Amino acid sequence: MELIFQSLINGLIQGGFFALFAVGLVLIFGVMGVVNFAHGELVMVGAYTVWLLHAQHGLSYFFAIGVAVVLVTLIGLFMERFLFRPTQNDPLAGLICSIGMLFILQVVATLVGGEGPSKQVPPPFHGTWVLFEYLRIPYQRIFSLLISFFALSTLWYFLTRSKLGWALRAVSLDKEASALQGININRISMIAIGIGASLAGLAGALMAPLTNINPHMGHNVIITAFIVTIVGGVGSLSGAVLAAFLYALFHTFVTVYFGGTIATICGLVLMVVVLIVKPTGIMGTRISE
Amino acid sequence: MNSNTQKIVGGSLLLAALIALPHFLKFHHQDLLIFLTINVLAVSSYRIVTLTGEWSLIHAVMMGVGGYTAALLFKYYEVGMWVTLPMAGILTAAVAALLCFPLFRTTQFYFLIGSFAAGEAIRLIWIQFVFPFGGTGGLSGVEPPMVGEIDFMESIPYYYLALSVVLLCLFILYLIENSRIGLTLHAVHWKAALAESVGVDTWRYRSLAFVIGSFFVGIAGALKVHYLGTITPNQFGVGFMVFILIWVIVGGYNKFYGPILGAVVLTLFDESIRGFAEVRPAIYGAVLILSILFLPLGLESIPSKFKAWSGIGKERDPLSLTDK
Amino acid sequence: MKITRRKLIRAAAAGTAMTGTLGLPTALFAGQKTVKLGMNIPMTGDYAPWGLPGLYGCQIVANDLNAAGGVKIGGDNYKIEIVAYDHAYDTEKAVQGYKKLVLEDRVKMVMMLGGSTVASVLPWARRKKMLTTTLLPSDITPKSDYLIATCESHPLYNVTGVEWLAENHPEAKTAVIVTNNDAEYGLQSAATYKAAFEVAGIKVVDVNLHGFDITDFAPIVSSVLAKKPDIFCMATSFYVTPLMEQLYHQGFKGKIISCTLDYYNEIIAKTSKDFVNGTIFQFPDFDDPALNQAGVSFPNPADFDAKFRKAHPTDWSAVSWEYPAILLNWLEGAKAAGSVEPTAVLSALKSNKNPNFVFGEGEWWGKDLWGQDNALVGRWPVVVVEDGKARIQEYRSVSSWLDRNKAVLIRHMKDLGLRTV
Repeated sequence: MELIFQSLINGLIQGGFFALFAVGLVLIFGVMGVVNFAHGELVMVGAYTVWLLHAQHGLSYFFAIGVAVVLVTLIGLFMERFLFRPTQNDPLAGLICSIGMLFILQVVATLVGGEGPSKQVPPPFHGTWVLFEYLRIPYQRIFSLLISFFALSTLWYFLTRSKLGWALRAVSLDKEASALQGININRISMIAIGIGASLAGLAGALMAPLTNINPHMGHNVIITAFIVTIVGGVGSLSGAVLAAFLYALFHTFVTVYFGGTIATICGLVLMVVVLIVKPTGIMGTRISE
Repeated sequence: MNSNTQKIVGGSLLLAALIALPHFLKFHHQDLLIFLTINVLAVSSYRIVTLTGEWSLIHAVMMGVGGYTAALLFKYYEVGMWVTLPMAGILTAAVAALLCFPLFRTTQFYFLIGSFAAGEAIRLIWIQFVFPFGGTGGLSGVEPPMVGEIDFMESIPYYYLALSVVLLCLFILYLIENSRIGLTLHAVHWKAALAESVGVDTWRYRSLAFVIGSFFVGIAGALKVHYLGTITPNQFGVGFMVFILIWVIVGGYNKFYGPILGAVVLTLFDESIRGFAEVRPAIYGAVLILSILFLPLGLESIPSKFKAWSGIGKERDPLSLTDK
Repeated sequence: MKITRRKLIRAAAAGTAMTGTLGLPTALFAGQKTVKLGMNIPMTGDYAPWGLPGLYGCQIVANDLNAAGGVKIGGDNYKIEIVAYDHAYDTEKAVQGYKKLVLEDRVKMVMMLGGSTVASVLPWARRKKMLTTTLLPSDITPKSDYLIATCESHPLYNVTGVEWLAENHPEAKTAVIVTNNDAEYGLQSAATYKAAFEVAGIKVVDVNLHGFDITDFAPIVSSVLAKKPDIFCMATSFYVTPLMEQLYHQGFKGKIISCTLDYYNEIIAKTSKDFVNGTIFQFPDFDDPALNQAGVSFPNPADFDAKFRKAHPTDWSAVSWEYPAILLNWLEGAKAAGSVEPTAVLSALKSNKNPNFVFGEGEWWGKDLWGQDNALVGRWPVVVVEDGKARIQEYRSVSSWLDRNKAVLIRHMKDLGLRTV
């Protein structure tokens, strides 16, 4: 019984991270129609920034999070302007360009951090919150969960209550019709990738004290993000958030009872099944082209 | 001299050069030559999959399926390379045929992601099941054959063996592409609706291309494992898949020789920047981006571009990167 | 310090080789010859922490020997040159690097880490009769005549930690094992720990094998802690730091035993000194006073430790001293043989009935498990963290444990599907 409650909590915290980077991927795909293979590397850059500024140079953790978000957003904007916009008529070309970017970001990380062991960031929040004498949640994870919750609700508010948010959703539904309505597609693309990248940077910054940081950490992130995106439904933000939490719980429980690799295999198979049975995902309404 | 004689003379010269080549190389360059020969088969077999317009991300893993087939047959049934080589092709094709049922119910982006997921799942199965796949450490002790006095563990004899197999496979791939099947595959890509309206079952032809491509890449995998002696799951991860993509795209995939050109040129390029070990992947990444942005038809388009520019030939390739 | 490391990698890049003579006067002493020793190791990627620090260590030892005028072997005076290639733990690169070392650089020995990269070069070692060393005795096969493991006896030494734990903490009765699911490091260690626990009368209540694709260890740790173990054992995990962090947060109060505890200062920074204190593992720091005892053959360990940490402050790992110890073993063999030729050195080393093992006298072992007596096994230190610092508690004999219990060990190895003869 304790194990079930503890696993529920572990799963929810995981879900917060999954949602942060999956929502970004969905947003970019929805608006620009491009699969950003380098999304995991954006998370990695966020984590490296925190390692460099906070763990190496002793700057404040909050300041480091801020820099990570801004830096990753800038990288995202760069990618939109110089990689995705010139290739916007060809989704494959955009994908290949993002793979090129992935290599470049990994090398930059290696040059900054050097080879050798994975980097570690000492957690700014020490200690654990003990509930009912057996449930244990480290303060660091509570902090991460609160921030991801805050970021996601802000995004939700922006998308549903602001004019720009409406425009963004319109573009992801129908590009041509939106353009006819006078929406500036390039500007909306910039905003979409800006939001997506900043969320990835935030996810990396929040994960930094909790995981092994190395140039290749993006690989596991992108696999998870793909699974969540497909299961949630490509182009559906609420689907992605829901899928992030469901998949995190699913992965956590399968890990507990059958092992981690089996959990990932199950996730991949689940994704293929969803692709076949309901390619629009659990919440998706967009029909594949 | 008519064009046929030109082709025969050119072909013989190329063949002579390929036969003489290893004798001028250092030992470790001979190894590189063998890996390059095998990779040429990997990219050419990938081309046949892409003919229908579907880009899969499972090709590297299919090469691994061929490699594991050969390794398992050799280790548990003690059969030699002459059996494992065709069996690797057949079994990989069989696995591909099974995968067709789920994967080709999707197209485009969904197929890309679906093939990626299926490939990762297969790779994780190799890691998870230590028996029989050996886990992350993989399998070892797979030997190349001995034929009388010829010892295929040495680089030069193995190079000739690999070269013969690869040339034979390329020849068959070329024949397929220029046969009725090949033309239908092109039609499925460029005029899917039209092809369907005249009774072509596009699902069947997409699957056929995938199975044929997998058969040949399976053979490539077996060639690799018999030379290296070991096979591990990480050799066939997304890293190698990305290299196949880069070779095909930088070389250009509208012509048969484009991907081969890409593999050869980039392998030479890679060897020449060996001095920058740490930043090599970034240089690769930059080359990839630049070629997508400025040379979307790949290296093979340079001659025709040059012709167009100098006004020698007026023809230009009408195909853009995707069909619109 | 980062700059030094990067500079070294650049140096490696420049000719794809690093030599042990960097920054030393290159002039040879009169009549001096050069002997090249090869390293075919991971210097980049996940496995780099078990390759690169070994190169740094070898450079320190080689520089010291060269500065003292070189080494005398069979009447000749030699300068030692280390030639190293990075294979990034990729079998394709390992074969290429190995052939380059043997056929082009003409080295007299190749030092390697182990696992699939060693398996892929074994046919070439046999063909070229090249002395090759590994840190994993489990790489030995009935046909691997030229492969020896003279330093690390992975995973055999893990039995010493368990013996010590059982003796000093008899109240601990149940254990869980968590490790990577690879057959080269993790499973070998897991089988050994299972055997050692069984012999010590400790019940293993759960074995959790995890992959390399884990980003969060909370579920794994929760799942094994639900079994309420007295002992948490990390067999050979690449993720000791995040596992320790989770143990700390989930309030584990029992004993912790691990094969390695690399970069334990970082673990202390992530948890607390009190929490890490008492953790048992197998790899000492070399400023440990217990290394000055009679029997330890490594010359002046404290001096080596100081030099290493001065040049590479954050890079000390389990392998920092292991490759240098192998180099010193080779030197001993070469002196005994009066020759640097690989076959001569190998037979001199193998014909010595009581060869000098790094922690004292050893014996050649391995036939019963892997088919050949090519692993040097002797006593091994049990290390415990005391007040934030690794300290050797005592040396215990691996060989005598094996004499008594090898049947148990072989049974557990077979259980996990590992190769035995």
